[in-house]
Amino acid sequence: MGVETFLQAAVEVFSSGSVVFVFLGVLLGLCFGIIPGLGGTTALALLIPITFTMDSLDAMYLAGGVMGATSFGGSITAILLNTPGTAPNAATSFDGYPLAQQGKAGLAIGASASASALGGLLGLITLMMFIPLAKEIVLLFGPVEFLLLTLLGLVAIAVSARGKLLRGLIAGGFGLMLAFVGVDTMSGETRFTLDTDYLWDGIPLVPTLTGLFAISQMIELSLKGGAVASKIENIGRISGMWDGVKAVFVNWTVLIRGSIIGTIIGAIPGLGGTVASFIAYTSTVQASRDPSSFGRGNIIGVIAPESANNAKDGGSLVPTVAFGIPGSAETAVFLGILVLHGIDPGPTLLLENEREIYGLIIALTLSAVGASVIGLLTARWLVRITFVNVNILVPLVVTISLTGVYVLQGKPGDVLLALIMGIFGYLMIRFDYPRLTLVIALVLGETAERSFHQSLLISDYNLVGLIMDRPQAIILVLATVLTLLLPALRKRAKKTA
Amino acid sequence: MFNRTLASFSLVAAMFLGVGSAAAGWPEKPIKFVVPYSTGGGFDTYVRAIAPEMEKILGVQVIPENIPGAGGQKGSATVYRSKPDGYTIGIMNIPGLTVPPLLGKKVSYNLDDMTWIGNLAKSTYAIAVKADSPINSLKELCSLGRPAKFSDTGPTSTSSVTSQISMALIDCPITNVTGYKGSSGATVAVMRGEVDATLKPISSLRKYVKSGDMKFIVTFESTPSLEGVPSSRDLGYEEFEKLTLYRIVGAPPGLPSDIRKKLSDALYQAATSAAVKEWSKKSKKPLEPMDSAEATKVMGELSGFYAKYKSILAN
Repeated sequence: MGVETFLQAAVEVFSSGSVVFVFLGVLLGLCFGIIPGLGGTTALALLIPITFTMDSLDAMYLAGGVMGATSFGGSITAILLNTPGTAPNAATSFDGYPLAQQGKAGLAIGASASASALGGLLGLITLMMFIPLAKEIVLLFGPVEFLLLTLLGLVAIAVSARGKLLRGLIAGGFGLMLAFVGVDTMSGETRFTLDTDYLWDGIPLVPTLTGLFAISQMIELSLKGGAVASKIENIGRISGMWDGVKAVFVNWTVLIRGSIIGTIIGAIPGLGGTVASFIAYTSTVQASRDPSSFGRGNIIGVIAPESANNAKDGGSLVPTVAFGIPGSAETAVFLGILVLHGIDPGPTLLLENEREIYGLIIALTLSAVGASVIGLLTARWLVRITFVNVNILVPLVVTISLTGVYVLQGKPGDVLLALIMGIFGYLMIRFDYPRLTLVIALVLGETAERSFHQSLLISDYNLVGLIMDRPQAIILVLATVLTLLLPALRKRAKKTA
Repeated sequence: MFNRTLASFSLVAAMFLGVGSAAAGWPEKPIKFVVPYSTGGGFDTYVRAIAPEMEKILGVQVIPENIPGAGGQKGSATVYRSKPDGYTIGIMNIPGLTVPPLLGKKVSYNLDDMTWIGNLAKSTYAIAVKADSPINSLKELCSLGRPAKFSDTGPTSTSSVTSQISMALIDCPITNVTGYKGSSGATVAVMRGEVDATLKPISSLRKYVKSGDMKFIVTFESTPSLEGVPSSRDLGYEEFEKLTLYRIVGAPPGLPSDIRKKLSDALYQAATSAAVKEWSKKSKKPLEPMDSAEATKVMGELSGFYAKYKSILAN
């Protein structure tokens, strides 16, 4: 098993000509990634019925192609328009967009392309290494570990808002409030639903993200007028892509750290790429000797989140191969494709359906590299988006992203929510509140609440005892304390030095 | 005069045509088959396997449409509110939809006047514990000296409702820890050892038993289907057999009876066709087709059955 099966599967994909499906998936993934509001989940959800008549292996190739390409595609819009194409790219815009404004979009895209490809590959290599241990890894993480991980995420939010701690906390608190809308998974009661069944399933993530990041940014742009990159003289110097590629190799520690964070967080169901790239970004800022250079166009600020959000694809397959549990929204849809093909995901998935799993890994590998190559080849033209007048750009982006929001679930309420969140997001930009903090809290809130209740029930209301019994939980507590204290300790060290 | 005659003539003709098209011409356009869950789930899979066969029989397209939300209530309400013209049908989760209104929840459907077209499958429940657990029987599970911990998805999910009712019937105290993602999430919770047992359909537990991670202690049926595992009737609990998950197909209230018959026949034929049987065997998805009359009878009995346990569920 392992490497041999992998190579065998690799030969098969080329010899059977099925590589065409991977390529189609990559193109589709790039397009869905680039367009704000559309993402990998939407692409796969739309593909599911089409794959019904396909061979199950070809369906895997197509799905893998899409999954591996969306997050790089999304970084392109994050960098060029400050509008993350998919949620995990939100952190990329922190430094990617300032670079684009300085006319260095080529540098940022080059860095994103190679960080995505290498991050993706590192994630998959880690997956291959840990497949034999997948079961043990999944069994290590119970409700109490989930709870502690979400706490770690929330602490990272607070710490990351350097100098804007209070604003960060307010935005995070608001995100938590939004997270508690809908049916309570413990009691079954509905909360804050304003008597509409639209809110029963809570505040949906995709419309919220589209509103907060895409629509709000379009409002901001249209009020400002002109184009994204103001320095017209920079048009000629779009190159610099290779410098970006080089920057990834120079900063290889950032790449490795981002990939490790991405793989680990990817393996934990319910957290996903948005949290992974955010934590990769904040930990990189914390580890840096010059934290104040971030947010103004530091190339490292692009490398960290992009390596993380591609590495998470490999990680999210760990619970999938162990127990048939999806590690991310995309793997959940991917499992749906398996079910449609008569494959029942479960603990025997890897034993009985090795062919499909390795097919998917091959497709993800090819896709990680393929998407970046296509990106590098076309970046020269893509970058021109930043010089397009907003009067043309804004209506286009708004229309396409709202259409994407509607397509995913076909609910008109989603479009309305995206618009409301758009206005809200614009106000957040104007009054300088961090939007990603709100989103992370929204993502983590549900898991935090659920695992808190579960931890209490399974420990007979003795939470401390439960933590003390589990070494992995103690490590997470220590990591949280360290994250909280690190900025203070560093300040102190500076003073005494 | 002539004009008026013509007008009334065409009015009468239109009325006839109108009445006629309700039945005689049906079906003349694609039929929407609502799945109240996301693509790729169990209900979705059944519909996608059946739909192509129904198409062959009826001669029009049968298009699965996923309307997920609110635990299947949203899609079911959509079917309930549709025009009863035979062009909208939907698959429904029973008793998943039976329970919320019993608990006084406001819902936008009424199962009592829905038109039932047929049933596709029934899932038999079973209770399983960790493979190396010291617990080997239902009796041992119920005499731990503390409430046995069960894991489940949502508190109103069909399996949660089944554990609460069945364990209350035999005075077995349980703590139902809900909030796990899907039946795999709930099963893995047992394997981690944080809960004692889980109640799930045999079909979704079987693979964990096969992999050596779990073991069955009881199945909710009359004659045991698994070797070495007692059925609930063996243990003397006949009521347990009624606690099953139905994948039933419904249409809006007031569907004309001739259309209902055609739909029922088409669904039954499709569910018993060679292609669907083959699919069922390959993907280990059990089939238990029922026609309209039988499904309607089952639904009538079930609403009374669950109403009896209203007080258990209210806790």
